[in-house]
Amino acid sequence: MSLGSQRIVIVTGKGGVGKTTVSVALALEAARRGLRTVVAETSGSQRIAPLFGQESRGYDLVQLAPNLHTLSITPLEAMEDYIVQQVKIRRIYEMVFRNRVMGPFVDAVPGLHDAVQLGKVFDLEREQRFGRRRWDLIVVDAPATGHGLSLLSSARTMMDLTRAGPLYEGVKLVHDVVDDPERTGVVLVSLPEEMPVNETAELYQRLGSDSQERVRLIALNQMAAPPFPAGDDWPRAREALLASGDPALTEAASLTDRWLERLDRQDHARDTLLQRIPRPLVELPRCPGGAPDRAALDELGALLGRAMDAA
Amino acid sequence: MTARVVICCGSGGVGKTTVSAALAIRLAREGHRVAVLTIDPARRLADSLGIGELGNTARRVPLERVDPSCTGSLDAMMLDAKATFDELIRRVAPSPAAAERILANRYYRFASQRLGGSHEYMAMEKLLDLWQTGPYDVIVLDTPPTRHALDFLQAPDRMAGLFDQGVMRWLVMPATQGGWRALELGSEVVARVLKRILGRGTIGEIAEFFEDFRDLWDGFTERSKRVNALLGDPATRFMLVTSPAEAAQTEALYFLEVLRERGLPFGGFVLNRVTEPPGSSPQPDALAAARPAAISPDRWAQITAGVAQAVDQRAATAARQQARIAHLRASGPADAPMWLVPEADADLHDLADLAALGPYLPAAPWNAGEPPPT
Repeated sequence: MSLGSQRIVIVTGKGGVGKTTVSVALALEAARRGLRTVVAETSGSQRIAPLFGQESRGYDLVQLAPNLHTLSITPLEAMEDYIVQQVKIRRIYEMVFRNRVMGPFVDAVPGLHDAVQLGKVFDLEREQRFGRRRWDLIVVDAPATGHGLSLLSSARTMMDLTRAGPLYEGVKLVHDVVDDPERTGVVLVSLPEEMPVNETAELYQRLGSDSQERVRLIALNQMAAPPFPAGDDWPRAREALLASGDPALTEAASLTDRWLERLDRQDHARDTLLQRIPRPLVELPRCPGGAPDRAALDELGALLGRAMDAA
Repeated sequence: MTARVVICCGSGGVGKTTVSAALAIRLAREGHRVAVLTIDPARRLADSLGIGELGNTARRVPLERVDPSCTGSLDAMMLDAKATFDELIRRVAPSPAAAERILANRYYRFASQRLGGSHEYMAMEKLLDLWQTGPYDVIVLDTPPTRHALDFLQAPDRMAGLFDQGVMRWLVMPATQGGWRALELGSEVVARVLKRILGRGTIGEIAEFFEDFRDLWDGFTERSKRVNALLGDPATRFMLVTSPAEAAQTEALYFLEVLRERGLPFGGFVLNRVTEPPGSSPQPDALAAARPAAISPDRWAQITAGVAQAVDQRAATAARQQARIAHLRASGPADAPMWLVPEADADLHDLADLAALGPYLPAAPWNAGEPPPT
């Protein structure tokens, strides 16, 4: 497979692991390769456009770079979009939107939020322009695990709830796309620490065997580099630093120890993931300054792109 | 004796669950009877508390393992939203038959598990239940990691809005029934559109549910009011858990603003995983001079470059964090207590690790005048 062989890539993982970073890096790489790419936020936080020094336009597309656009898919706007498609008469759908019943009603139908968001992703997938499809790749920055799961299964839930009718027919089309491993893939993002790794493994188990197939890649984010090329001489070096009697050297030695211990822990975390999730894994380096800048995003994108090609 | 409520809130990934548990342990070791309620479905709290599995009913945490002289106690539980919702229905239903009718409704079975906000609302309901019936001095609530960190605050109002009979009346009414008033013409159209989209079968089930729910309405709103009163009680404390990472702080400030707007009692900031700056920086000469004979000069240069980098990186991280912490301090109320929890060297595994965080957390968050440790 290659990066663009699935049209939809859904990026999920627990809060704070770097889902948005991974989504953006992956989308940047796809755009660089000439794929017409859109990266969709679903949490309503609209963080992506500002990363490129631009203002978010919410549900409307913003171009970030050549071949790269972003938008934020909120449930209410997606619902409006859906109703416009269903009710062609402008006067009527405006009446529907303005009605105070609408908001509470969208809230009252379980899974409808997620289903209409997923429906918008499906619309992007189908969208035609100049006689060809508009987007080669749609990257979905999905909500944190609990909600990410419900987004993935929302079309199925909606089908179970409605059982018949126009919405059933609509979500069935959506379901057929997102449930097709040829067309939709999932990237699970994790951190090389014990708890995030355990949660990622739990998430994978809860996906069930059908959905597990759709997990294309595990992105293990924020992997620290070693302080110096590995060797078995650190204990001796450490001893020499401690023997100096210089408190600055003693402290430096202990900070280096912590760094090396972190490396051990992250190796262990990676091994645990590989053991519990039999899917390809890519290690992404930790960005020293905290939030990755554009150059760092390009670098992460290149790594992700190669991993997706191989996965 | 009424229990005090401490609510730990903040965005996902900041270690809210860990802080909630560590705070609960600390309060129990102060001699209080404490309950900690977590919403986190990842079951990690159970692992570190050493109680196997967490459920909707209280499990006693074996605190004697870390503190044999502990006079307080700690019960832990994890919210089961569905079970709590079922309990609520049984509690407020006018008769067992009415409760069973709702519990058997197909729409209810979906809604109680999947309805947007139902999880958050049930966290509030469970809190109220514990507060009313549990033998506790303090209840610590770990709030849900929602998309919007504050959804849980609006949850009771949102659910009340949902069950407002006016909202659903149009769906319940048969289309043939007359009496539409001109002002409500919009609602009739909405109902028609929704019926067309969702299909009559689904609408019928939803309508049936809301019909049945009418009888529970009074009991339900009564509980909602009590939840709101408990959240706004001057004895309640909202602790804002955040990390020195930038995004988490932007959310923390937003959170603070919402607490202010809603007039909810703010108890202070807990900054989790704070990096302490190194005490000193090694001199290049001193590093070079420490070379043991068994290591070649070239290799020693490699190693010491890494050692120096370990110190530099830590200093840079600590400086970045200090700037953000100062910003947060300047943005909060002038006397807002702030507790800094240092970054642990390793993953937190067990009770002892959690208990070790105790000294960095408030002993009694409701003492507004208590100065934070510096």
